[in-house]
Amino acid sequence: MDGEAQRATASWGNGTLAPGDHLRSDRAESPTPGLVEGTEPGAGQKSAMFVHAQSFEDLTAEAEEEVRREADINNPGDSEEELNVLVGEKEPHLTSESKSKEEDVSSEAWRSHRKHVFVLSEAGKPIYTRYGTEEALSSTMGVMMALVSVVESEKNTIRSIHADGCKVIFLTKSPLVLVGVSRTSQSDKELLRELQYIYYQIVSLLTLTQLNHIFQHKQNYDLRRLLAGSEYLTDNLLHRLDRDPGLLLSAVTCLPLASSARDTVSSSLQAAKSKNLVFSILLAGDRLVTLLRKKDQFLHHIDLHLVFNLVGSSSSFREGEGWTPICLPKFNTAGFFHAHISYLEPASQLCLILVSTDREDFFNMSECKQRFLERLSRRTAYQALKDALKSPTYSVEHVGIPELRHFLYKSKSSGLYTSPEFPDVYISDSEQERLMGLYQELHSSLHHPTRPLRFFYRCGERENLLAWVTSGFELYLCFSPLGTKALAVAAVTKLLKWIRKEEDRLFILSPLTY
Amino acid sequence: MSAMRVDAKVVMLGKESVGKTSLVERYVHHRFLVGPYQNTIGAAFVAKPIQVGENVITLGIWDTAGSERYEAMSRIYYRGARAAIVCYDLTDSSSFQRARFWVKELQNCEEHCKIYLCGSKSDLISEDRSLRQIDYHDAQDFADEIGAQHFETSSKTGSNVDELFQKVAEDYRSTSFHGMTLQETGVDLTPKKDSSFYSCCHNN
Ligand SMILES: Nc1nc2c(ncn2[C@@H]2O[C@H](COP(=O)(O)OP(=O)(O)OP(=O)(O)O)[C@@H](O)[C@H]2O)c(=O)[nH]1
Ligand SMILES: [Mg+2]
Repeated sequence: MDGEAQRATASWGNGTLAPGDHLRSDRAESPTPGLVEGTEPGAGQKSAMFVHAQSFEDLTAEAEEEVRREADINNPGDSEEELNVLVGEKEPHLTSESKSKEEDVSSEAWRSHRKHVFVLSEAGKPIYTRYGTEEALSSTMGVMMALVSVVESEKNTIRSIHADGCKVIFLTKSPLVLVGVSRTSQSDKELLRELQYIYYQIVSLLTLTQLNHIFQHKQNYDLRRLLAGSEYLTDNLLHRLDRDPGLLLSAVTCLPLASSARDTVSSSLQAAKSKNLVFSILLAGDRLVTLLRKKDQFLHHIDLHLVFNLVGSSSSFREGEGWTPICLPKFNTAGFFHAHISYLEPASQLCLILVSTDREDFFNMSECKQRFLERLSRRTAYQALKDALKSPTYSVEHVGIPELRHFLYKSKSSGLYTSPEFPDVYISDSEQERLMGLYQELHSSLHHPTRPLRFFYRCGERENLLAWVTSGFELYLCFSPLGTKALAVAAVTKLLKWIRKEEDRLFILSPLTY
Repeated sequence: MSAMRVDAKVVMLGKESVGKTSLVERYVHHRFLVGPYQNTIGAAFVAKPIQVGENVITLGIWDTAGSERYEAMSRIYYRGARAAIVCYDLTDSSSFQRARFWVKELQNCEEHCKIYLCGSKSDLISEDRSLRQIDYHDAQDFADEIGAQHFETSSKTGSNVDELFQKVAEDYRSTSFHGMTLQETGVDLTPKKDSSFYSCCHNN
């Protein structure tokens, strides 16, 4: 068990940019749980699309981060001049009017939120709060920073405080400090992962280079000036963290689509290439239709989720074409990419994101989109794609296991997951969040930092749960409370067989590159 | 390749939430969106053909985000622009300060760009005069000083919005018409396939 966890960590540590060469093509029709990584249902046939997202142990990449940060500081690049513009003295024109989340921070209601998130600078200046306004919380944040500093002065790092059914988690990512206060049963590690996401969200807007630069020049800079208008992105990301299995699993899900149609879409996109185009991503809502990347360049699932969040949070890309700088922090914290964001048709759910390295590339990207669209609309695959949008999800009944209510299945080597729609029992928002909470607990147990489990069965009053992780996949199943363990185990084999049968519709098996 | 047929690049500048996106929405889609305000991320581009006399001129409108975060990037949005609509909110004096900043920036970096000073949300003033924070004549004096056109608009009612963009297009046509008589041949407004719009404007 320990060996398993270690292996995963090691492969993360040395293989951040490319997946191993172990993707095989022997695809059993009745896959067994003991199958080899790269042959599990949903595994890509040729190569993976993402940075090898084998485990979610992003935190173990800390050391490597440190190194990169050093590099950032020593090599601020040629944007120095632009950065100076940003730190220069200017009339402060920040008002709190834009905050719609006015809430009395001394009230019981404020205190009783399930999860608070605070971001502050190392000087103790408030940068973000999930609830209430930053102004009202400046003394609270001052205390938080004091705690961090006191422990640091002892050459130590504060990680968490546990008290009274409440956990306080600290993440220091110089020049930022992130603090989570949670009443949930999530582990420290899960909460830390969520704070990491928030950290990356902020970096994606500013780049780490810029952040460092700003605080080097002015320690007590009010970063809210630069983040103004982006709070809703962070709010939405926090909401997703509670709801979206993809963020939990470090994976993304695809729009179910016949592989022939998907391949045509992919090759049409491939045909619309351009010198500085690095990634092309076609989304249907929160689902991936296809993703193309420059050879040898891999997108990290965290970066992809940040893109999803950006696109999903904003309706302003609906009309016209968006052109925005975006830092993909897991790719490179130092610089901006430039994203061309547009919907294929005004009322369509299909959103195309073209990521270029060149800020002057707008009209090239615009032309790429036109070329793609012209090519695609001549083909029947476009109609197939539009039809697929009408049923973006499927019912668990298709699997044919009566006791099975819901599941999450992640193919580790592809970084893709599949999951049916919530059944009627979990139709309300609160029930869905409760189920997600249960999955999170299972996930915590499977990925426990010192005692990771590979198999976990839990009987509850309202449902029975089974979680199973192998080198090839991660599986979470939810059964009716009437089922038995034997039944649940038998269901796994049946489910794997079903996923294998459906895999070319549910996954992207042959991702293309430029 | 709609983006390539653009004749004149027009950039919207101004402090966040002054109403740049709403102006473009009103002009291009004839509507005013109510609901929670969404900051623009980066910038949005939309091409809009407009009839001027016998000609059709396509404006390529860049709606930029007002957030300071993008300030260092702003050059890529206004470079080569023929017209800049610098917006301020009639009910927010700090937004006028910001408008002055943009005017200075344009004067320094983009001297051929014509400036249109636009006070937004005039419907709010009509409802309640006490909300006005920028005097009409003060703004007019400033506009005269910098050689700019001055408009007060409302995207909610549509007041003066078409007039603003019509003026932008007419001014563009009269300057490019001027160039045409010099060359004695018709101006081919469609740029060559491989030259991006930026470069075509830059050569002017
Ligand atoms: N009453 C009234 N409200 C307006 C008018 N124009 C814009 N608003 C409101 O002002 C807010 C901001 O409008 P936007 O058009 O999004 O502002 P913006 O300048 O694009 O802001 P950024 O994208 O952040 O730079 C929205 O809530 C609009 O509804 C107007 O003419 N009248
Ligand atoms: Mg806007």
